[in-house]
Amino acid sequence: MTSPSALARRAAPMFACIGLLAVWQVASLALKNDSFPTAIEAIRAIPDILGDKESLINILASLRRMAIGFGIAVLVSIPLGLLMGRSRAVAAFFNPLLMVIYPVPKAALMPIIMLWLGVGDITKTLVIFLGVSLPVIYHSFEGAKAVEEKMLWSGAAMGLSPLQRLIRIVLPAALPEILTGCRTGLVLALITMITSEMIARQSGAGNILFNALDMGQYDTVYAMIIIVGAMGICLDAVFERVRARLVRWSEPQFDMPLSFS
Amino acid sequence: MKVVPSRSSEWVNPVTSQQPASAIIEIDRVSQVFQTSARKDHVALSDISLTIEEGAFVSILGPSGCGKSTLLYIVGGFVNPTSGAVRMKGQAITGPGPDRGPVFQEFALFPWKTVLGNVMYGPRQQRVRAAEAEAQSRALIEMVGLKGYENFYPKELSGGMKQRVALARTLAYHPEVLLMDEPFGALDAHTRTRLQNDLLNIWERDRKTVLFVTHSVDEAVFLSDKVVMMSKSPGRIREVIDIDLPRPRRRNELLLDPRYQKYVVDIERMFDEVDETGSAS
Ligand SMILES: Nc1ncnc2c1ncn2[C@@H]1O[C@H](COP(=O)(O)OP(=O)(O)OP(=O)(O)O)[C@@H](O)[C@H]1O
Ligand SMILES: [Mg+2]
Repeated sequence: MTSPSALARRAAPMFACIGLLAVWQVASLALKNDSFPTAIEAIRAIPDILGDKESLINILASLRRMAIGFGIAVLVSIPLGLLMGRSRAVAAFFNPLLMVIYPVPKAALMPIIMLWLGVGDITKTLVIFLGVSLPVIYHSFEGAKAVEEKMLWSGAAMGLSPLQRLIRIVLPAALPEILTGCRTGLVLALITMITSEMIARQSGAGNILFNALDMGQYDTVYAMIIIVGAMGICLDAVFERVRARLVRWSEPQFDMPLSFS
Repeated sequence: MKVVPSRSSEWVNPVTSQQPASAIIEIDRVSQVFQTSARKDHVALSDISLTIEEGAFVSILGPSGCGKSTLLYIVGGFVNPTSGAVRMKGQAITGPGPDRGPVFQEFALFPWKTVLGNVMYGPRQQRVRAAEAEAQSRALIEMVGLKGYENFYPKELSGGMKQRVALARTLAYHPEVLLMDEPFGALDAHTRTRLQNDLLNIWERDRKTVLFVTHSVDEAVFLSDKVVMMSKSPGRIREVIDIDLPRPRRRNELLLDPRYQKYVVDIERMFDEVDETGSAS
């Protein structure tokens, strides 16, 4: 379990973070620019932000919108993607729609949505929803399409109805692919969360960041960047654990290591 | 058919085995044409007619690509024939159903289920109580020689082991007709022989109707009442050979039996002809 290479693998992310901070520190000291605080200054500003009730409420509100947007997106996109993957008619109907929406940066839709729904939670949650949906739909679609026909036939022979086959065969068989989509979706949720708050300044983590930028409080700006980055790392790590547990049955059995030694 | 006393004789149901055989599956002038990517029609099956009697063990032999799997899929109701019809007990087959259990060449196990989960899937679907389904499934797993592997996932099994799970999974929901597509193809000679014997024992016990696709002439003669020889491009039935050998069959006795040897030699010669000439002649 704890062979040297396993230890190295465990410690690697920490070394990466420390390395990044060290480069930042050196670069900042070398540039001597007021708008580029050192890593240590930025880290020192973190407790101030997290200790402040107002900021904390803002950050939690952001996370809440993100969770709701992500949750609804996943609940809608997985069934839609699976249906598209198994029914040519459904795919033919939705594919052109999605192709239109796909290349549009979701944050660019913000101003339009704001005109309809205001600058409140609904607008921001909707933008997060849009950002998360597409990768989840796409991966669910691809996953469902790739399900081995004979597996569905086996289910049909056991008496599973088409709906049961979708839920009890297509869904689990496509799960590894679906979860890959969800993981991308999670990162996109964080990105759209921040950008939505950059455009509709009112509350949230993005609001703190861009307000501080306007007021020239650069250590707060960089502290917020660290906080958002850390949130991303934690969310991803938690998600990855859940994912690994759910699809243990599909993980490759043997690695083909790129051995340097 | 006479009931011959044997170690499995206590299992033979004298009522069913002495009834006059009646047709369970009728394949009626079935043809299957595929559109290939080159936009040409490809006739995979041409005008296949075959009647399978209830409780019969029928093997389909033929060169690779002659449409054996396709014929099995049509009987299973997974594929609709381009023309012709298949009836089961007089009813037209319109789709798959638990009365016909397939064992696919590609296994098609559910990779997210363990061996036990796979085998229990069918009985559970048919609302057999969990404890009962589990007990039956464990017995089947033991029968196919996978005791101790109940909690393994398919990716953790060898090809031959997967094939045995696939067989157990289908047997578990007691289909009236077994549709087996080279179920022993991925097995080593030893396991293959063992499973042939086990299959014969099960079959002699409950006289399921079996439609069995194979490449192996020995296997076909050893197991079957009837061997259907197919030829290629287009897939046609070349000959139907009744295998008139006593049952229950024991491998060690049969191998020495001149009648068995003659069947094997004759059918092998026929196979060679079919393979060389196709359906053209
Ligand atoms: N979906 C399909 N589309 C086009 N052609 C097909 C399709 N399925 C099968 N065929 C063709 O039909 C023919 C019969 O195929 P089939 O799989 O039934 O053969 P087989 O006798 O089972 O061969 P093997 O012994 O190698 O398993 C082949 O020539 C194959 O190319
Ligand atoms: Mg085949």
